[in-house]
Amino acid sequence: MGRLLLATAAGALLLLLVVNAPTTKRIVPEDSHVVHTSPVQDKASLRPLQDRYKVLSKQLSQLIPNQHYIVVDTARNRLYVKHQEKVVLDAIASTGSGVILDKPGEGNSQWVFDTPRGEFLVKTKLTNPTWIKPDWAFIEEGLAVPQNASERAEQGVLGDYALGFGKGYFIHGTLYTRLLGKNVTHGCIRLNDSDLKGVYTLARVGTPIMIF
Amino acid sequence: MMKLCAILILFVFTTPSWGKEFEAFPDLQLNDAQGLKEATRVLEEELKLAARPQTYVLIDLVGSTIQIKGRGIGLHQIPIIRWSSESRNELKGIHKLIARPSVVRRKIDPGAAGEQEPISLADMPTDYVLSCSPLMTIAVVPSTAGETLLRGAAILGKSGWHHVQHWASSLFTDAPSTPTPHLQLTISVDHAQSLAWSLVDGMATLIRRPTDK
Repeated sequence: MGRLLLATAAGALLLLLVVNAPTTKRIVPEDSHVVHTSPVQDKASLRPLQDRYKVLSKQLSQLIPNQHYIVVDTARNRLYVKHQEKVVLDAIASTGSGVILDKPGEGNSQWVFDTPRGEFLVKTKLTNPTWIKPDWAFIEEGLAVPQNASERAEQGVLGDYALGFGKGYFIHGTLYTRLLGKNVTHGCIRLNDSDLKGVYTLARVGTPIMIF
Repeated sequence: MMKLCAILILFVFTTPSWGKEFEAFPDLQLNDAQGLKEATRVLEEELKLAARPQTYVLIDLVGSTIQIKGRGIGLHQIPIIRWSSESRNELKGIHKLIARPSVVRRKIDPGAAGEQEPISLADMPTDYVLSCSPLMTIAVVPSTAGETLLRGAAILGKSGWHHVQHWASSLFTDAPSTPTPHLQLTISVDHAQSLAWSLVDGMATLIRRPTDK
């Protein structure tokens, strides 16, 4: 008797469930402009978007240099030589001090000793470079700017190598290694001897330099 | 045979991802149509910037990061703690920085003994507004560990001031009232100074916006 009751109750419950089961038919108000698409259609409409995203991602990846490139963090005074995502060389550098110097006799004109920010290319690779002292180097020291060009040349202060990246800016060595890690330069990027040699070896003319 | 299958399976799952495709936005859900549309829009814009020798800024509101980039490479990344904008739809396209926070630079005294103190990250502002062209403003607000009610009020005040300025300018012009697109970013004090340091005049800025799902 008990079993019969249980079976009847189960049957009734099953019937109730079948009657009230949600149907797959969608009720759409007559004035609705919503277009319901099946999952198959959704996938089909996603495919072109996914393909476009992948194509664009690939195009962006193709702009990443496939050779070594140099990254300079001027805030933290670090220089990295990278290949793809891998850091090949990590060096403590000195970059621009950001201080200013008035240009004598030129009104409000000033020199701003910042390391330039942006993307540059290695334009020249020099060994045993000679520093041709610019006007500011004399003015800063309270000296008269020499008329004779030979008085501007100074040997042995830039280290064994120099890599020029335009407008007189170089990655070079320094005699003041105690100042590495600080913003002390007139815009150039200083490294110690071994890191400079490493950068010189890895970089070629045309190597990108990204400075931020 | 079984051993061979096991070795093959092990090989497939342990080898580095051969042929793994470069993903511009690893956090992107590939079944999210709106997210895909936004990602492709940003990528189309970024390709124009990355093709030229320059650094640019990508503010990724989905990934909560500010990235200084060049040639598609992330050079420096700053995490965003919070952001807000009432003009999210307007934050599209490439904007160029036309005004950034001013920095007090020290002047060299020629011939003076001793070295002039250089500028450092500590000299950078922590609370500033960046103006862009086409018209858009980005307020950078520092987050402090003990953010007080006073600080919160200051943030609200800044947001309110933006609205008052807009309302006041609309009083004197015949132009229809369209608010300047505005984005407020809350980042740590150190990161606010780091961002102020890294930005340069004319730098292109791009924003990836979240989508409503």
